Amino acid sequence: MTAVLQIDQLCKSFVGVQALAGVSFAIEEGSITGLIGPNGSGKSTTIDCVSGFQTIDSGRVLLSGKDITGRPPQAVARAGLMRTFQTVRLYERFSLRDNLTIAAQQFDAAGWVDELLRTARYRDAAAAAETRASELLGLVGLSRYVDADAGVLSYGQKKLLALAAALMPRPALVVLDEPVAGVNPTRIREVEDILRGLNSAGQTFLVIEHNVEFITNLCRRVIVLDQGRKLAEGTPAEVHRDARVLEAYLGLTPETSATEMQGAT
Amino acid sequence: MKLLSAISAALLLGALPFFTSSNYVIGVAISACIFTAAAAALNLVYGYTGLLSFAQLGFWGIGGYATALTVMTFAGSFWLGLVWAALIDTAIALAIGYPAVRTNRHAFVIVTLAFALLVTLVARDWVSLTRGPLGIPGLPAPNLFGFEFKTTPLFYWIAYGYALLALGLLYALCTSRIGRTLVAIKQNEPLVRAQGISPVPYKLAAFAVGAAITGVGGGIYAFHLKIIDPLFLDFYYMQTFLIIVITGGAGSYWGVIAAGLIMSTLPEVLRFSADFRMIVYGVVLLLAVLAMPGGVGGWLHERRLARARAGLT
Amino acid sequence: MEVDAAYLAQLTANGIILGLLYALIAVGLALIFGVLEIINFAHGELLMIGAYAMTFMLPAVGLLYWPSLAVAMAVVALCGLLMYELFLSRLRPGEFERSILVTLALSIIILHVVQYAFTASPRIVDTQYGFDGWTIGAIRVTWTRIVGSGVALVAFVFLYVVLNHTRFGRAMRAVAQNREAALMVGVEPKVVARNAVALAAALCGMAGAALAPIQLVSPIMGQALIFKAFALIIIGGLGNVPGVIAAAVGLGLMESWVGGFFEIVWQETAVFVVMIAVLLLRPDGLFKQGTMRVG
Repeated sequence: MTAVLQIDQLCKSFVGVQALAGVSFAIEEGSITGLIGPNGSGKSTTIDCVSGFQTIDSGRVLLSGKDITGRPPQAVARAGLMRTFQTVRLYERFSLRDNLTIAAQQFDAAGWVDELLRTARYRDAAAAAETRASELLGLVGLSRYVDADAGVLSYGQKKLLALAAALMPRPALVVLDEPVAGVNPTRIREVEDILRGLNSAGQTFLVIEHNVEFITNLCRRVIVLDQGRKLAEGTPAEVHRDARVLEAYLGLTPETSATEMQGAT
Repeated sequence: MKLLSAISAALLLGALPFFTSSNYVIGVAISACIFTAAAAALNLVYGYTGLLSFAQLGFWGIGGYATALTVMTFAGSFWLGLVWAALIDTAIALAIGYPAVRTNRHAFVIVTLAFALLVTLVARDWVSLTRGPLGIPGLPAPNLFGFEFKTTPLFYWIAYGYALLALGLLYALCTSRIGRTLVAIKQNEPLVRAQGISPVPYKLAAFAVGAAITGVGGGIYAFHLKIIDPLFLDFYYMQTFLIIVITGGAGSYWGVIAAGLIMSTLPEVLRFSADFRMIVYGVVLLLAVLAMPGGVGGWLHERRLARARAGLT
Repeated sequence: MEVDAAYLAQLTANGIILGLLYALIAVGLALIFGVLEIINFAHGELLMIGAYAMTFMLPAVGLLYWPSLAVAMAVVALCGLLMYELFLSRLRPGEFERSILVTLALSIIILHVVQYAFTASPRIVDTQYGFDGWTIGAIRVTWTRIVGSGVALVAFVFLYVVLNHTRFGRAMRAVAQNREAALMVGVEPKVVARNAVALAAALCGMAGAALAPIQLVSPIMGQALIFKAFALIIIGGLGNVPGVIAAAVGLGLMESWVGGFFEIVWQETAVFVVMIAVLLLRPDGLFKQGTMRVG
């Protein structure tokens, strides 16, 4: 089992605030890992640094063995890491079909000349992208909206579309930034099933979430961050029992934790 | 369907000199062809890619002067002058565009504005090259292997041919996947980057193509006026290009072409005094930006969207 | 080169005075950018209205300077308010390109309406001070220039007090720094924006009125000055008030010295080249620390 993503001693500070103080962890191929932590623990900053949306002060990031430390977002994506955003990012004025096919275009063999002259190479690439787009739209249940503008979708549907777009180029790793935040509970089950299905087919995921139940149901391994450092790591059950985690999240001592956990989430 | 009506319209326009012998009317048509193409170039940069570039005025002026100087100072042909206009403008666009597209949107707008004003200053002050405020009068008729495009109708076909080529190139670009990527960059640049696409080459390409097309247009217009001077860089031209793009709909290929043809001919039809015409321009621009930010093209698109949305629920 | 100390001193005095007037114009632009995040292309026309108001008021009140100045400022402040209420308030934050087009349209309309109504012929206007001046040694400065710069200095002190020691000023700085946060503490951005525009307009009107007796008044006078003002807010830093003032005085001095010793010709070009260079290398301006620093 190789590490798809390896982070070593990642450090990042903003003016006066040390957001990351040496984060280290590894994501195994084929795994579905959760990244949790209280507000301000550095989850989003870690992902922004890894995906190139923030500069890194020190540390190393390896993707499938390749050093992607500090590379810009487009280079990270091309290396095989696709991510979604907390505030859903889509092309609101493009159709769902376009939203998906554009996510694959950098990864096909067609260049500018092909695109301008509509050569066979371009047409083949476009057709392949369309096929994959239909497949993914079917998977997330949005097939009937294929030609609609993405802007007409509901919030939950938009999150699903963003997920589908991230999957288009069959990346080595998909990082989901709060995929079910603000999504209604019935939909959350749906998302769990979709992700589980994709993972059993071999797709590696790293999921950042606040929704503890979602993470517990979905992830075999959970990484807990607190104050810019990795606090704990293990199965969801192990992490639930970890005293340090409870203290960080809920300010609890081991005695009170059992009763309090009932009400959590 | 759109393409068919466009082709028929284009054929009709091409035959214009056969329908009228009025040099005045044909002169207006020459302006319409050139301004529409230049506005379409701005549309590529602003409407499609989202870069509000005042630099177009600078490229317009550089194109005009490059063509004029090629003929008058360097004894080249008009056609060579146009080639130089395109080449010089492309080179400058790449040079200034490279740092400019990588800054934020505020800085980009002001840099392009400063560039345009700088070109105006140079045109006025570098007297040894441009002959300063006196300008370069007496630009001769274009000559192709001995055939002189002496009359207005003959010159019309140069302007018309340019418009066809420019608009054709822009059509190929805008309807291609490259065009789609430009619009994606305008809508959500961080997402584009997260999908592995580097925005800078696209922005630069749009900027350079826009510059080259505008420059050639400037060269042809200068020879239509038969004189070029610093007034060629008057902000009025930039305002005209902007108004055409805004009223036609930034990002709407056909909208801008329609607006270009209308806005070029309307003032002539209405025969206002210069000041009044500018006031009308200003009011139209104001209303269009406030009430119809998508222009006519955008408004039509919204209607189609509303119908589609109604069909979905 | 022989440099006459007196000549240099004269140029310096002129330069500082010129710089202060530039600063009046540019500070208004900086305020508007800081609070509304838009670049007001019609700013030059506001200045021009101030100048025209001055040319009409002065003869009407027997060339009295101060009442005319007050009226001119009030007129332009009113124009600013109208501009905000009718047009600018319809723009949402973040619509940078649209705001440029709106203010550009307004600039076209205002300029050509004035030109249509009053013709393009430049006007000269006289004040109660005539051409009297103050002479120290070999330096001579006319009263109109002294009064003009005095007024500008008072305005800057006033502005400093407003921005740092009044609720309104603090509200402006809050909105400039973080609109959402300001909203959360009960600041009303629209009210703040409206007042900021009125204030910026008043400053601009003051500059126009002060300029009216010093140089020719014509419909296009705003256009030439406004691009220098843009350059100043870029070099000084968008929204950075003291940086802009410093840049403005610097520009005034540079123009005066260069104009005095060399041909004016390349000086404008130099300003624009510097501006482009600053923008490309340091988009936040030379004086750094963006949004609305006040000292």
